[in-house]
Amino acid sequence: MGIYIGKRVLAIIPILLFSSLLMFVMIRVGPVDPAEAYLAAAHIQPDDEVLAAKRHEFGLDQPLLTQYVQSVGRLLRLDFGHSYLSNMPVWGEVAQKLPATLQLASASIVLALVVSIPLGVLAAIYKNRLVDHVIRVFAYIGACVPVFWIGYLLMFFISVKLEWLPVEGRGSVQHLILPSITLALWLIAIYARLLRTTVLEELKEAYVRYARARGIKERVILYKYVLRIAIAPLITGLGINLGKLLTGAIIVEQVFSWPGFGRYFIEAIINRDIPVIQCYVMLSVCVIAGSNLIADLLQLFLDPRIARKGRASQG
Amino acid sequence: MFASKGKRLLQGLLVLLVISMAAAGCSSNTTEKSSAAGDPQATKTITMAWPRDIGPMNPHLYNPSQLLAQSMIYEPLVSYQDGKLVPALAESWTLSQDGKVYTFKIRSNVKFSDGTAFTAQLVKKNMDAVLHNKKLHTWLGVIPLIEKTEALDDTTFRLTLTESYYPALYDLAVVRPVRFLGEAGFPEDGDTSKGIRSPIGTGPWVLSEYKKDESATFTPNPYYWGDKPKVDKVVVKVIPDAQTRVLSFEKGDLDLIYGEGLISYDAYKELESSGKYVTKLSEPVATRNLVLNTMNAKLADLKVRQALSMGFNKEAMVEGVTLGLEEKADNILPPNLPYTNIKVSPVKYDVEQANALLDEAGWKLPSGVGVREKHGQQLELELMYDKADQTMKAMAETLQAEWAGIGVNLKITGVELTVYIQRRKANEFDMNFYSTFGAPYDPHSFMTAVVQPGYGVSDTLAALPMKAEIDKKIKAGMATTDDNARTGLFSSVLTTLQEQSSILPISYIKQMAVYRDNVTEFKFPSNRDEYPLQGTKKN
Repeated sequence: MGIYIGKRVLAIIPILLFSSLLMFVMIRVGPVDPAEAYLAAAHIQPDDEVLAAKRHEFGLDQPLLTQYVQSVGRLLRLDFGHSYLSNMPVWGEVAQKLPATLQLASASIVLALVVSIPLGVLAAIYKNRLVDHVIRVFAYIGACVPVFWIGYLLMFFISVKLEWLPVEGRGSVQHLILPSITLALWLIAIYARLLRTTVLEELKEAYVRYARARGIKERVILYKYVLRIAIAPLITGLGINLGKLLTGAIIVEQVFSWPGFGRYFIEAIINRDIPVIQCYVMLSVCVIAGSNLIADLLQLFLDPRIARKGRASQG
Repeated sequence: MFASKGKRLLQGLLVLLVISMAAAGCSSNTTEKSSAAGDPQATKTITMAWPRDIGPMNPHLYNPSQLLAQSMIYEPLVSYQDGKLVPALAESWTLSQDGKVYTFKIRSNVKFSDGTAFTAQLVKKNMDAVLHNKKLHTWLGVIPLIEKTEALDDTTFRLTLTESYYPALYDLAVVRPVRFLGEAGFPEDGDTSKGIRSPIGTGPWVLSEYKKDESATFTPNPYYWGDKPKVDKVVVKVIPDAQTRVLSFEKGDLDLIYGEGLISYDAYKELESSGKYVTKLSEPVATRNLVLNTMNAKLADLKVRQALSMGFNKEAMVEGVTLGLEEKADNILPPNLPYTNIKVSPVKYDVEQANALLDEAGWKLPSGVGVREKHGQQLELELMYDKADQTMKAMAETLQAEWAGIGVNLKITGVELTVYIQRRKANEFDMNFYSTFGAPYDPHSFMTAVVQPGYGVSDTLAALPMKAEIDKKIKAGMATTDDNARTGLFSSVLTTLQEQSSILPISYIKQMAVYRDNVTEFKFPSNRDEYPLQGTKKN
């Protein structure tokens, strides 16, 4: 198992290198000159002298290979440069904004799991009955409707009309409720459907028939055997969906004025703040690669057959 | 065992949810709705929204410091009001005969928000800090012309220019970079371009509470020399999304929405039609123009330019795209600015006349083809616009459809802002939108753009036969100390430009305000970059 984990961790390095190269190339071939972008963000008239000075400062007058090696070296030291807009170190600003995003994301994941597991199980137990239909319609809507629109709808009905919760901002538990529901809704939709399918599949398995034949109660079969196996794909799903959760958080943070990393990223896009965009992309790659790895390892723990398969394939 | 594990997993998740919610609760140190309308316990607070954090509030720098905060905390020497310059931190001033030396009498009873005195020495110190980074500020005409700054005594400041330049005082009235920071706000080496210690100004407001990216609270400056603000607090909430601003306002969390483009045209109309709020539009603050590049051989012909000018229904376009929130413009610069009140005969929408002019110019419409031709070449033009700007995009699409009706094939190209700036600088476009700056920058900023290449105007006018003469008149107008002479020169320039149809006025941009009826005495400021908070009351 140690070798399996080691291999998986090492595999992340080429992914990161490739992403950094891709990003480097995209920035250099794109129509936006970083020096001009800086001046535009700072509202400075880009005359040739100022432009040349900025290009020199950013090292843009160096050969491309030197520039790339330097940029990788900086990334390794977690030095993402200074924001064009605020002139502050990007990493410092990101570190300041991450807690808010992590809070929102973790609340959404927990909410998604807490709600989707019972929904999925209920839909499976009451297959093709009213409860199942209602849950499926809900899941369908949750998966189709754009995140920002759900946000506006919740704001309009819950905050403006019913006045139960604040419209926007961060600071109290009340502030967290609507953004995390908005962000969790599509996850709930996906997981409830996924769990319904896997539970139904598991119920058809031989071990269930055997357990039934032994006279074990349905409830016990469901919770003791079926759910443990059915939850495993959910965890893989979470690993894969974490990337989407990040993009979802960008929109939710913007809509609910949540002062997190996502909103910082949107502002960076508007201002062509390239160092910030670079940092966001690299962190996203790390989060996605890392979460996939963790999901796989968790699955390994829940279903050891995977490790056995791994060992078998290693010969 | 497994069943209990499953149960434990669920229990664990629930506990996590509660913990994360509780953590959110613990981090709370703001009180929500303190300022909501109708709360009798509340102090008189005006809550408004802003799309970005107010920034480091450096008076000498630009983004991310927001004009809103800078104009509340810091003050200019002279202020722009209703088309005139009036005393602010300078009580009075004199100008030497040659137009080069300004001597300011500094107001003596002024104190900074930390209680220290405002003196001519500090005027010099601030001015020198700005000049230390001259390159950053060359866009402001007066900066490159400053030869010397002197504090003659505590209340006399002298500014010497290398040449006579009438807009010097208008430039000093803008919100940044020439405003004044208190001694204790300066960094050790005095170089404010690297940052300031704290935002200490002489203005009516001080920053009393600040949560980066969330909100900023301003209270009246106890040492303020002028009329005291009429409310106890101004809370500026950071709300980046336009629709959220509207919902927050409707809920009662905001008292005022003010600014350009802060909410959509649709949202403004909706709030207006609800009848529950006060909605107001300002006088024109700037003109949205369409620039036709005379360096393009097709557009070098006056008749073609005139045909394009009368070949679209301007009124319908402005009404349709901006829902009437901008106003059809006939003048290149709004006539409510200094030296711009010239009489022009509005261009009438006349398709027949437009067709006739194009025929006369030799652009004929072959039968069966929708596009005019001349010497085997089609009448095809490109209009470039900033693709992030929805108003420009909609206007470009309208023009495309309208001009197709007179046999002109208009290609519309939406580009990235930096590409837009690059192409404008290199004069690589047939047509382009150009908005004027507004007060207190105009008319002199527009005149500078007509004379100096790189701003997207001068180069496009290069093929006009009288371009040299226009430039000469502008330079003379900028240098003279004779107000009447300048009025004559600028009128002549603007009249010629109107006649040449290379710059086509489309609409006057206006500022929007929406507020609750307990907000009173709201007045739009004359300076486009300032904010109307000082005289505003709340009942």
